[in-house]
Amino acid sequence: MSHEHARRRGASRRQPVRQIMALGRGTLDMIDALGRAGLFLMLSCLGIPSREGIRLWLRQMHFVGVMSLAIVLVSGLFIGMVLALQGYTILVDFGAEDALGQMVALSLLRELAPVVSALLFAGRAGSALTAEIGLMKATEQLTSMEMIGVDPLRRVIAPRLWAGFVSLPLLTIGFSVVGIWGGYLVGVEWLGVFEGSYWSNMQGSVGFVADIGNGLIKSLVFAMVVTWIAVFQGYDLIPTSEGISRATTRTVVYSSLAILGLDFVLTAMMFGEIG
Amino acid sequence: MDDSLLVDVEGLHFSRGEKEIFRGLDLQVPRGKITAIMGPSGTGKTTLLKLIGGQLYPDAGRVRIAGQDVHRLPRRTLFRLRRRMGMLFQSGALFSDLSVYENVAFPLRVHTDLPEAMIRDIVLMKLEAVGLRGARALMPSELSGGMLRRVALARAIALDPELILYDEPFVGQDPISMGVLVQLIKTVNQALGLTAVVVSHDIKETLSIADYVYVISDGQVMAHGTPATLNVDQDDRVRQFIHGEPDGPVPFHYPAPDYFTDIMTGRASS
Repeated sequence: MSHEHARRRGASRRQPVRQIMALGRGTLDMIDALGRAGLFLMLSCLGIPSREGIRLWLRQMHFVGVMSLAIVLVSGLFIGMVLALQGYTILVDFGAEDALGQMVALSLLRELAPVVSALLFAGRAGSALTAEIGLMKATEQLTSMEMIGVDPLRRVIAPRLWAGFVSLPLLTIGFSVVGIWGGYLVGVEWLGVFEGSYWSNMQGSVGFVADIGNGLIKSLVFAMVVTWIAVFQGYDLIPTSEGISRATTRTVVYSSLAILGLDFVLTAMMFGEIG
Repeated sequence: MDDSLLVDVEGLHFSRGEKEIFRGLDLQVPRGKITAIMGPSGTGKTTLLKLIGGQLYPDAGRVRIAGQDVHRLPRRTLFRLRRRMGMLFQSGALFSDLSVYENVAFPLRVHTDLPEAMIRDIVLMKLEAVGLRGARALMPSELSGGMLRRVALARAIALDPELILYDEPFVGQDPISMGVLVQLIKTVNQALGLTAVVVSHDIKETLSIADYVYVISDGQVMAHGTPATLNVDQDDRVRQFIHGEPDGPVPFHYPAPDYFTDIMTGRASS
């Protein structure tokens, strides 16, 4: 009780001090977490993969990549179709519906395919990775692996990280291809844009390095960030059911914010001067 | 150092946040014997096993296994040392994506270059030893708690370790599987001659198989001796624990303010 009196008396006077303390504590915690995450990434990714490592990686490619294929392709199709529909209604007012192919392709390659695939990937594969690794931690599978003398960073984490790094750019390519085809279905087959101008305008305006290359760089960056966040959240969580649910949520929230924030930065760097 | 000792814990200090878990713990595990570590829940028995296995680092003191200071070894050497140890986890900790057979084969596959036929023989031998050769094709999710622990035991002995650490092997078992586990720990120790550390608070079962017992409380060794000497120990705290009396020097109540004032003042917050 005396403690409570002291607390009340000191509260008004020490409020700013305590806020500064909380700020300092928060910053230290954040730096600490960043350090752990960085060390974690380094220890997992460095080193030469064994034949067994490649087998494990292929297995994860299936879980992380192939299993995300359906959702990414279907979304790509719809986004391409919507783009064509929206684009057509605007372009037709200016008599410029011949540029539909260019518009669909550029929006997809530069922006929508990398960002939307990464967001879908975070929701579909990222959350699953966090939950899976978290559950392995909660059921002591990671600890028991360590006690058997196998480093879980190399055996469990590394294949998942590499699978994420490789599969998201591939998924993004799939997204673009299907999206462009969706745009063709709506624009050419349904709305009657001339097929030759749909494709030739696209061919004339899309640069391999400037558009396809930059889009792929974006998606590679997103792949690294999303997979890193997902796997680290799983590895670092508090091993209870509440901890797992929180970490899974954090994966999706942090990944989405990181994707959108980084997208702005990357776009500014890549296309900023084009104006 | 004395060659008959496999594990030697000296002056171990460890704390988690503000809470001091070990304050100068000393403990010796002789080769080829079953050493039990007992104590009330929350005395850090599992933590002790993790310190011995090199998964946690002490604030002071050291743990030596076969003469090697576990916490000064580089990561690679530590992992090599761990191949000579097996650990049986409370939950079994089987890999949920592998079948029973593959779980037991796992340590063999990662640490040896044995041909598949040899691996198969070893796995079946180990499963036979725990009576689960017929369950080899099942997945861990299809096993009962007792079977999980027996498979985990088969996996822990797959590489014929020198030392095996049992974390609460009897918790939550029905009387039959408890009996089976007691029997297995004893047989594995005698047949393979391996050293065992059993952490437990199941007194009757543990005393029936242990060669030597340490009772820890408040971060230190409270008593140690053979099961026979502990049974007649006159120290109040030891007696309370060994004979399972609800109240005594180890209080029934978690520290709390005075009961009467607590109820009568009626402050919602405290």
